[in-house]
Amino acid sequence: MSNFEERLLGALKQDMAARGPAGRETAVTRARRGPDRRLLGLAAGVTGVAAAATVVFTLIGGAGSPAFAVDERPDGSVEVRIDEFRDPGELEAALAGKGITAVVDYLPQGQICREPRGERGGTERQGEPMQAEITGGGGITFRIGKGHVGAGETLVLAVSFDREHSDQAPFAMSLGIVRGAVAPCEAVPMPEPTGVRPTGPEPTGPVTHERSGGGGDDGPGLDSGG
Amino acid sequence: MRLNEDPVAFEAFYRRHIDAVMRFVVRRVSDPHLAADLTADVFLAVLDSAHTYRPGRGSEVAWLYGIARNVVSAQRRRAARDARLAGRVAGRRMMDDDDLGRMEERIDAERRMREALRAMADLPDGERAVLELVAIDQLTVTQAAEALGIRQVTARVRLHRARRALQGVVSPTVRQMEGSA
Repeated sequence: MSNFEERLLGALKQDMAARGPAGRETAVTRARRGPDRRLLGLAAGVTGVAAAATVVFTLIGGAGSPAFAVDERPDGSVEVRIDEFRDPGELEAALAGKGITAVVDYLPQGQICREPRGERGGTERQGEPMQAEITGGGGITFRIGKGHVGAGETLVLAVSFDREHSDQAPFAMSLGIVRGAVAPCEAVPMPEPTGVRPTGPEPTGPVTHERSGGGGDDGPGLDSGG
Repeated sequence: MRLNEDPVAFEAFYRRHIDAVMRFVVRRVSDPHLAADLTADVFLAVLDSAHTYRPGRGSEVAWLYGIARNVVSAQRRRAARDARLAGRVAGRRMMDDDDLGRMEERIDAERRMREALRAMADLPDGERAVLELVAIDQLTVTQAAEALGIRQVTARVRLHRARRALQGVVSPTVRQMEGSA
């Protein structure tokens, strides 16, 4: 072995020692507590992540059960239920069997794929958001409308979950449509959830009402003028 | 056992695969300094992804090549946006003149492979990925499928399509490699 290889090995071992045994998986514990069952409106780009092809959500849920299911509905839509986050290739193949090109990545807790993965697709169908929800078992389900993922487009799904507790619901997921080539997933730490919030209705939790014009009911008064 | 927790296991892994990783990298980049950085990045990614490593479950090589592919692709995307390398360990700083010379020799030795890869550039991503791993990196179809996280049957279909698409388009070198894959 040449000197480069030996020096690199030394540097890698140092990096290993510096990070400690726990790695970085335990470093992120930011999931928002919430109900087991939460409806999320998943429409690419609607959360203000303007340039991204996907939307990131923070989730938390209950216990798990095995496998996934891909079912075609009478209206031509495809319902996907993922109960356990393994065998992404199998899910891709199952979706391909329904005519949907998909790229699925399962990542450790606190990580998400670097965005953007490609050119944003599905833009002409923004009015038909995909709906995803957490199942009681800790998995997820979502439905892809007929033709929602068009020719030359790819459904891109990334799920972040705790591999030590695969029976728990995912920590976060992103779901979007990319037109053309999809970049492979480069795992990066999840961004702070600030400003990237679920857009769908939340059954519980505080509701914030915003008021334009600086607040205060100071509109024109009624002045009879005498 | 986790690769990122056991220095002895990691060293054994590194020594088993350092040569293959360097070969993988110089088939895709022709700058010796960048090749050194990417070699370092691949093994850093191995440490970062160690939790997905299951000894005895599937092929270690397939797992490693899946990671190497992601690292090289990520670098290409970074290069498209800016020239910054974000690696924690700068491989290029570990090369002396002798290492540089050896890296250049490796790069020269893989010139034809880089040309063959360029000939595949117009294939759809999924098909090109399978063909790359099989024809250029000499993985079996099973290993390529595993590296890409797809089913074997999917890999075979993609490989078949890629070969068919390339017929008559590329140089005889590539056709010969495909035939031997």
